[in-house]
Amino acid sequence: MFQSLKKSILAAGIATVAVLSVQAQDTVKVGILHSLSGTMAISETSLRDVLLFTFDEINAKGGVAGKKIEPVVVDGASNWPLFAEKAKQLLEQDKCAVVFGCWTSVSRKSVLPVFEKNNGLLFYPVQYEGEEESKNVFYTAEAVNQQATPSIDYLLAQGKKKFYLLGSDYVYPQTTNLVLLEYLLSKGVPIENIGGGFKKDESGKVISAGKYTPFGHTDYQQIIAEIKQFSAGGKACVVSTLNGDTNVPFFKEYAAAGLTAEKCPVVSFSISEDEFRALPAKQLVGQLGCWTYFQSIKSPANKAFVDNFQGWLKQTTVDGVKKEGRVTCSPMVLSYDGVYLWKAAVEKAGSFEVDKVREALQSGLSFNGPGGKVTSQKNMHLTKNVFIGETKADGQFKILKQYDGVFGEPWLKGTFKPKVATK
Amino acid sequence: MIKLIFAVLLSWLLGASIYAATPREIIAKALLIEDSEEQAKLVTSLGDSDPQEVIALLTLWKEGGIFLNVDAAGAKVPVTLDEEKDGEGKQLAHRFDTGAAVGKLLASDLNAAETDSALRLAMKSVLDMAQLSSPDAKKRQEAVETMGSEQDPERLPALLARQTRETDSRVKRAIREAIALIQLKDENDAVKIAACNELGAIRSIPSQDALKAIVAEATAESKTNLANAAQLALNEIAKHVTFVNTAGTAFRGLSLGSILLVVAIGLAITFGLMGVINMAHGEMIAIGAYTTYVVQCVFGPGLELSPFGIHIALPGMNATGTLYNCYFVLALPLSFLTAALAGIALERGIIRFLYRRPLESLLATWGVSLVLQQLFRLTFGANNVQVSSPSWLSGNWTVNDVLFGWNRVFVIVFAVAIVFGVTMLLKKTPLGLLIRAVMQNRQMAACMGVRTERVNMLTFALGSGLAGLAGAFISQIGNVGPSLGQLYIVDCFMTVVVGGVGNLIGTVISALGIGMLDQSLQQILGNPVLGKILVLLGIILFLQWKPAGLFVTKSRSLEN
Amino acid sequence: MKSNRNKIELIIVAIAAVILIVLLPALNAAGVVSNFTMSVWGKYLCYAILAISVDLLWGYTGLLSLGQSLFFALGGYMMGMHLMRMIGDLGQYKKPIPDFLVFLGWEQLPAFWVPFSSLVFSMLMVIALPAIVATGFGYLAFRSRIKGVYFSILTQALTYGAALMFFRNDMLLGGNNGFTDFKFLLGADVRAAGTQRGLFIATAIVLIAVYGFCRWLTTTKFGLVQRAVRDSETRVLFSGYAAANYKLFVFVICAIIAGVAGALYVPQVGIINPSEMQTDKSLEIIVWVAVGGRGTLLGPVVGAVVINALKSWATRAYPDLWLLMLGGLFILVVLFMPKGIVGLPAQIRGLLKRKQTPSALATDTAAATP
Repeated sequence: MFQSLKKSILAAGIATVAVLSVQAQDTVKVGILHSLSGTMAISETSLRDVLLFTFDEINAKGGVAGKKIEPVVVDGASNWPLFAEKAKQLLEQDKCAVVFGCWTSVSRKSVLPVFEKNNGLLFYPVQYEGEEESKNVFYTAEAVNQQATPSIDYLLAQGKKKFYLLGSDYVYPQTTNLVLLEYLLSKGVPIENIGGGFKKDESGKVISAGKYTPFGHTDYQQIIAEIKQFSAGGKACVVSTLNGDTNVPFFKEYAAAGLTAEKCPVVSFSISEDEFRALPAKQLVGQLGCWTYFQSIKSPANKAFVDNFQGWLKQTTVDGVKKEGRVTCSPMVLSYDGVYLWKAAVEKAGSFEVDKVREALQSGLSFNGPGGKVTSQKNMHLTKNVFIGETKADGQFKILKQYDGVFGEPWLKGTFKPKVATK
Repeated sequence: MIKLIFAVLLSWLLGASIYAATPREIIAKALLIEDSEEQAKLVTSLGDSDPQEVIALLTLWKEGGIFLNVDAAGAKVPVTLDEEKDGEGKQLAHRFDTGAAVGKLLASDLNAAETDSALRLAMKSVLDMAQLSSPDAKKRQEAVETMGSEQDPERLPALLARQTRETDSRVKRAIREAIALIQLKDENDAVKIAACNELGAIRSIPSQDALKAIVAEATAESKTNLANAAQLALNEIAKHVTFVNTAGTAFRGLSLGSILLVVAIGLAITFGLMGVINMAHGEMIAIGAYTTYVVQCVFGPGLELSPFGIHIALPGMNATGTLYNCYFVLALPLSFLTAALAGIALERGIIRFLYRRPLESLLATWGVSLVLQQLFRLTFGANNVQVSSPSWLSGNWTVNDVLFGWNRVFVIVFAVAIVFGVTMLLKKTPLGLLIRAVMQNRQMAACMGVRTERVNMLTFALGSGLAGLAGAFISQIGNVGPSLGQLYIVDCFMTVVVGGVGNLIGTVISALGIGMLDQSLQQILGNPVLGKILVLLGIILFLQWKPAGLFVTKSRSLEN
Repeated sequence: MKSNRNKIELIIVAIAAVILIVLLPALNAAGVVSNFTMSVWGKYLCYAILAISVDLLWGYTGLLSLGQSLFFALGGYMMGMHLMRMIGDLGQYKKPIPDFLVFLGWEQLPAFWVPFSSLVFSMLMVIALPAIVATGFGYLAFRSRIKGVYFSILTQALTYGAALMFFRNDMLLGGNNGFTDFKFLLGADVRAAGTQRGLFIATAIVLIAVYGFCRWLTTTKFGLVQRAVRDSETRVLFSGYAAANYKLFVFVICAIIAGVAGALYVPQVGIINPSEMQTDKSLEIIVWVAVGGRGTLLGPVVGAVVINALKSWATRAYPDLWLLMLGGLFILVVLFMPKGIVGLPAQIRGLLKRKQTPSALATDTAAATP
């Protein structure tokens, strides 16, 4: 009994401690920290794939500053304490020079202290709420003013007068909607034309705007009925920050209720080409999306990126990479851009040291990525092009409008002042 | 109007004599223009042409039926394709403008002529006018509604003219509404007041915004009569909205209850009758949903999968139209079968060893659930897959502003049918008799010569099959992904436990009750999360009052 | 035989205590054992405490509660609130109240947050809140004699409802993101190796103490009644014992243990949010206990450590396959190792013996069935 117990404890101990691998002189370890299982795997697996592709592409051309990238892939398993543990492992055990990863805000928040303590560097590629600036995170992600506010500009220009705010109940939609509320008021949209409901504190200040549903919500009948009444008078639209999974029941219900993009378009900030594959595309022609990249961008850089990625998918032997029906989308491209920016920064700094790399990044490096030119900023965000697109029956977006070189601004709340009523 | 004249002038200046141009020629020209605003102008100029032809052509364009072919000289030529395909999948192409055959082309090589929202708005405006004389009442109604919401006085004559000829009662109402809405923009206050009264009388929900604007405007200009009239109309409409919401909530509650019932009825059998706590019930639902997906792919473009490095390719039938719409009819029995087979495997492989250890069946089946979820992920990918509804499930009836979605009506009918079927099976068939005998007293049944093992297996297969059926349905209203089952499992158990174990009627009542309660709370609180929390709290308290659920199966045994 | 086994178990525990409380921290201070290993093992030990509480409920009293993750998270939240207060004005907004409150438009601390500036109060709440919730829920549930599967499902509903509640931003507890970015505990930098070492030692001491307490409890007359309730509640009732009170007492004790484990866990992993109280987590804890061996006190500890070590390793080595491993392992354990890892030697001995005397079969399977 004693023997077997000791052995099992020992085995477990060895398993965790002995993860040393042979480290060759001419490689640099780079961490990939995404959920490959659990609820978030649905979105994050694609980012793992594109990162591995990027590393292969860079290695084939001689690596970063002469060193080949050695990827260390770990699974955050959609479990936030595990994300923190894995981050620790990547930084303290594997001594990764840089980590690419995280999708949800909460996963980023959970690893942030680890990166700050170990002075690591994380590249974060997914649209987020802002209100954060860490010297240990480089946000290639879209800030609220690179997604939400340009969409509102577009919708206002289209003559929309009524806006229904809808989102999943977590910090990104809550923040975005508060910013949007301020922005809409500053554009002269009266508060009674903003739907979804408000919550006010005792002093009457709005502390929450819009309608929120929990993760994994499956029943949108009620909300659709509300939208149907809201939009009955015309010139209305829905601004949706619903999280990936819940978009499917929402849009199926939306289509079944006879709502169409012509009557009341929905602009969604969480549906990219990747998520769109699960939606009934034919019923949703004309719905809007806003990202800093669409697969349908016609440029040589994008064509090369898409072709090379598809080619890589065909020949890769990595476990668990799905080969059929793949598309590219904004978070994938921002991951890709991130790797190349890091490469440029390392080569400029002549060192893998985080402080020096950061300095190089903050000095303003540019990279001509698939979505056009991106430039790193002093506040660790990216200046990039913003595109408004509408969905087509084949699951791609047709680009309607392009805003060039939009500065990434994380601190937006409270910056827009309501327009004083003119009457 | 000025715009229109301008567009006409412009195109005339460009050398096209507008009065001679047929709609087909104008559209052919518009197709080749890159700038969408110019396109919109040309399309707008179609307003005076033959409505039926305009509708046919514009719809063809909008739905991607016109392609741009690049000819030998490098010029773009708009073409349409014949239905017929030859052996290589090529279709005969005709020039859009002249109808002359161009040759055989592959649809996948061509780019469809695209439309963007500005252009589609212009198309819609032209189509609306044209649709006013459409033979389809539904289309006429939609066109009228749009005109009303735009409140454009230009449209008034057309509407008034149509009003005298219109026969369909719904369209008539829509026309009254649209006319009144446009009249709200009239210069004369008396007309406005009459319009307000009219809108109040027909309880027009879409006019609320316009009426509110009138109230604000009239109050500011201290026109009391007008303000009062508008306010009265608003009050009428508010009453109507309350009615619509109440009726709508009742229907939505019924439909949510039916969904709960459909997903839980399988569990009512495996858990309720057999006492097996099947945590993999959710994954049985997912199996049904994935089966539907596979069937859909086989009817459509086919399917390629590569789980564990093994490449599987299923050829597709590329069916369209009615045949494609029938995929769901085939998917229903197949999803039942696959889930039932999976159920048999699960029962034979694991559960039969655990009949005397119910709590452990909970743990083992949870393990199964984890394995199955990961298998789905490895086979179909971590993403949700796309299941599109057949056309007979996507649409709705609107009666007196209350919305009845076809998919929702279908699930209610479906639930009734399933409950009826299962009840018949249990009460009227020899198998049902055996099932009830074994569930009531296993030893006794065995003594009477019943092969209890086999009955267990069949009962479990039935329960799992019903879960599969539920999955087929869920695929029509929700997402199909690896963790689909997890979304429903808690609700399933709640429904069965509240209803009382071992009793189908209990499950029916509890499912409907929970559905109604959930939707009513959501309507009252305006917050889906709070509603759900209160429902859970309600369930916990309810079980304090009736620990064994609504309907207790009476037994003299002390321990269960 | 029995006393012999007890003796072995005591020796193991004593050795483990020395290793965990003295040896490992010393080696860590000397730089032999890495900080990462310490932090991972600190987490495992918290899980071990939690697992003991589940086993006391399930293995000893027959109550399969899916609500232990709730009590764990409640304890964690109480500790988290104190840690949030200790951040002071070092947050993103540089305001003296937690960031998410600034974000929600609060200028001042809501009243219920104020006392959490005190560590003593927070620690009291770590014990009190789970105890209060458990008493309330347990009183209702046991009074109406909800048992078996119904109890499991009801605790699942409770946990699910609580998770939905904590997900809401209006709770003023950080919503989906929960609490993170802790800076100080007792004036020391919470992320420093020394502080983490101290927390590790504290966790190890609590683990040994909880183990000792449960061991004592199960050997008293109380423990006997407890097991009697598990085996046949009706007979206990007929013998004149108020089974409900016994169950309620165990339920509350276990809630407190889980709460304490949560409070130790939060400063070590640096985050607490509602995903900790999802029903999946509760089921996972039960897996640890089943794999380790329920109805023993060593089993849950072994199970918690082995499964989590496996998870740490597999999510890195085979991220795609680890759920298959976990699920598969679980099915195998339930089917073939009803006594778990700890029971394995006895089971093997039984198998060997059975080969010699086939009649042993009957008694052996009977023992395996609760």
